[in-house]
Amino acid sequence: MVSEAKATVAKSIGTRATDGKQLTRGAVALGGLAAGYFLVVGLHRAGVLISDYYLQILIWVGINTIMGVSLNLINGFTGQFSLGHAGFMAIGAYVAAYMTKILGAPFAPALLVGGTAAALGGLVVGIPALRLAGDYLAIATLGFGEIIRVIILNLDVVGGPRGLPGIPAHTTFLWVYAMAAATVVIVRNLIWSRQGRALVAIREDETAAETMGVDTTRYKIMAFVVGAFFAGVAGGLYAHKITFIDPSQFDFMKSIEALVIIVLGGLGSITGTVLAAFVVTFLPEALRAFADYRMIIYSLMLILMMLYRPRGLMGTAEFGFRQLGLGDARSSARDVGGQAMGRNDGPPPVLETRGVCMDFGGLRAVSDFCMTLRQGELVGLIGPNGAGKTTVFNVLTGLSEATCGSVHFMGNDITRKRPSEINDMGIARTFQNIRLFSNLTVLDNVRIAFRGERPYSMTEAVLRAGRYSSQEEEICRKSMEFLRLFGLDDRASEIAGKLPYGAQRRLEMARALATGPKLLLLDEPAAGMNPQETHELLELIRWIHERFDLTVLLIEHDMNLVMKLCQRIIVLDYGNTIADDAPADIVKNRRVIDAYLGEEAV
Amino acid sequence: MPGGLDISMVVQQLVNGLALGSVYALIALGYTMVYGIVRLINFAHGDIFMLGAYYGYFAITMFKIPFALALPLAMGLAAVTGMAVERLAYKPLRQAPRIASLITAIGVSLLLQNLGLKFFEARPRPYPRIIPMVVWDVGGVVVSNVQLIMLALAIALMVLISLIVYRTKIGKAMRAVSFDKDAARLMGIDADMVIGVTFALGSALAAAGGMLVGFYYNRISPTMGAMYGLKAFVAAVVGGIGIVPGAMLGGLIMGVAEVFVIAFVSSMLKDAIAFAILIVILLFKPAGLLGRAVREKV
Repeated sequence: MVSEAKATVAKSIGTRATDGKQLTRGAVALGGLAAGYFLVVGLHRAGVLISDYYLQILIWVGINTIMGVSLNLINGFTGQFSLGHAGFMAIGAYVAAYMTKILGAPFAPALLVGGTAAALGGLVVGIPALRLAGDYLAIATLGFGEIIRVIILNLDVVGGPRGLPGIPAHTTFLWVYAMAAATVVIVRNLIWSRQGRALVAIREDETAAETMGVDTTRYKIMAFVVGAFFAGVAGGLYAHKITFIDPSQFDFMKSIEALVIIVLGGLGSITGTVLAAFVVTFLPEALRAFADYRMIIYSLMLILMMLYRPRGLMGTAEFGFRQLGLGDARSSARDVGGQAMGRNDGPPPVLETRGVCMDFGGLRAVSDFCMTLRQGELVGLIGPNGAGKTTVFNVLTGLSEATCGSVHFMGNDITRKRPSEINDMGIARTFQNIRLFSNLTVLDNVRIAFRGERPYSMTEAVLRAGRYSSQEEEICRKSMEFLRLFGLDDRASEIAGKLPYGAQRRLEMARALATGPKLLLLDEPAAGMNPQETHELLELIRWIHERFDLTVLLIEHDMNLVMKLCQRIIVLDYGNTIADDAPADIVKNRRVIDAYLGEEAV
Repeated sequence: MPGGLDISMVVQQLVNGLALGSVYALIALGYTMVYGIVRLINFAHGDIFMLGAYYGYFAITMFKIPFALALPLAMGLAAVTGMAVERLAYKPLRQAPRIASLITAIGVSLLLQNLGLKFFEARPRPYPRIIPMVVWDVGGVVVSNVQLIMLALAIALMVLISLIVYRTKIGKAMRAVSFDKDAARLMGIDADMVIGVTFALGSALAAAGGMLVGFYYNRISPTMGAMYGLKAFVAAVVGGIGIVPGAMLGGLIMGVAEVFVIAFVSSMLKDAIAFAILIVILLFKPAGLLGRAVREKV
């Protein structure tokens, strides 16, 4: 299995490899995997190191690896805390066992159908994930796992509480090895792709991911479905190994076992998961000598391991390989002249809001807000604290749904659209309290935002085929280009959360621009900046406004900046629009002065 | 089940359900208080409940202590156990990722359960009969003195805990730490002490629940903590986790629902109903019945 890890490393190096290189890599991966298999079998035949007993344990290691890696996809990478993995395993085990034992089907289709049935279960369980998060989701998935078990308990065709005995013992080391290798390779390929970046973005900051055009609903469900599929396959292998299954084998503790594997290995580390699968499988076996005290020692060791390595054995260590690929890509990021991202302009009014209002409980945060932004305008939105400025942004980007009124963008009604759809149509934003994917690299922050015209599919990502390499190369190159424009290219491999404040603000703008917007909404971009930085920001905004042919709407408290930058200013006070005029007229407006500017302004 | 739904049958099940539900409520209180203050699903809580039952069992059978004294004794011992678990296993992980504490809690649960299996023997034990059972028949509804004592005790404890949380200084400190630990610290509250007290109170309630279960169902076993613990936790979530009255409401709902399912549907489904209620409630009220959804500020 070490060679397996090596093989996957080899597979992942570099994203710009030519087809020839890719073929070589594939061959190396396959060769490594095959070598690993023959090594184990050879040692076993020769009676060196691996006895029959150890071969049996290796089979359990393989099954636990599949369980762990598939749960890590849901839990570690997508950040959806699931405690019901045993339920998916049970579905796979029962469906596969039913097919071989009662219908007499061959093993391979039985595994496949078992996995698919579990994937359907994942689809159902994924739905609460759309409404719940964190501990609540954990408890709901736990509930689903238990319900699946109780349903099986009441199904007489599969023996109910008596269980299902006499399942053919089809599971061999080859089967388990092949399936575990396939799971690792597929999940790994999936993680290091456009889709995988979307999953990680959801884990890091769901709201930001949604406004960067990630359809969080779709991707969350995808994680559950794919994870459940492999858990189902693991269940099939399990059933045909143990040859007798009953519902009590798939209780809550089974889910916990899988959870222990991924937490011990490191959430978000596949290599760590494989390692932990070894530890968790071998440990109870090694403790057999202690007979009665075995489980006591096991639980003590679990507690101690957590106390001393709370981030797991590996943390998220393998992410290092990704930076390897990044180093390669950077050198080739040169020739793309930053062509305008926005497609050609539509009719002059870009954005129109009609009578928008927004209530929070009894409080009317925004009332009867009417605004028209024309192509290429640079407009400021100002007002005292609590005037409803950010609420306007939230309505425009779909994070809040307006209580009444409508929002039209490029002639389409976007009032009820999801944030990711609105972003797809061409509105991007930044946040008042910077919301980067702060545990990811600078480059990944921008890469998540990128989408091509016809993005490659999940199958292409998993097989590393078709448009995958050319598009990945393109995304990487363009992202680097963006970083260069914002002076961040030499920091591409740094962790975003560790950047200095000003750089984080610039990165957030780079990320928003990478989604290819026509309208850019900036929420207090100068907050917390010193005069020098504010001046640089002014130049930067002017420059991107021109360069990307953008329409810009800007919330800002720094009046100096707003007066210099904006062609028109809208003033909000207690949710009402009290002025909408050129800067020169705004400073003379009596109501504005009363409400906001005060005496000494200008 | 065949036979119509006659009204006395329904009332009868309601009485039984409230008795069971009051136990769930007692255990749920511990979950909810601990979660409220350290945001940890304390999986070991169910096993503290089990230990509490055994503490009472040994106090009564081996040391011949009367029930009225055995109950506070078991509660005190459980409180010490709960505080020790917190000090040794959870406190070192306050700054670690929350999932690490969760796994540790699961480890502690496994440890306590296996210690129980080793030292208390795996076989279920009959609980000592403390008082002779007296049964009254009120218009077809059978009520026993055991049920009444159980309900009365549970209600008394719940009132007591509400008074502590909402009327005392330490209760105020608990609510402050729960709201914002760091701010509470800056106001001079010893957060570690408050967390310890919370674990102690929760564990004491669980021990009372454990003794009542032994008292009512007449048997205890080292693995009883798992299912009771899980369902009580579900009860806490259904009521709105972190909210004291929510735990009581959730516990009663769980108890009544379970007894009704056993009586009128199938005893095979009794463990599923808790989770089915949970999922339905969470889908419609993601923060529980009495919880208020907190919108993320953007």
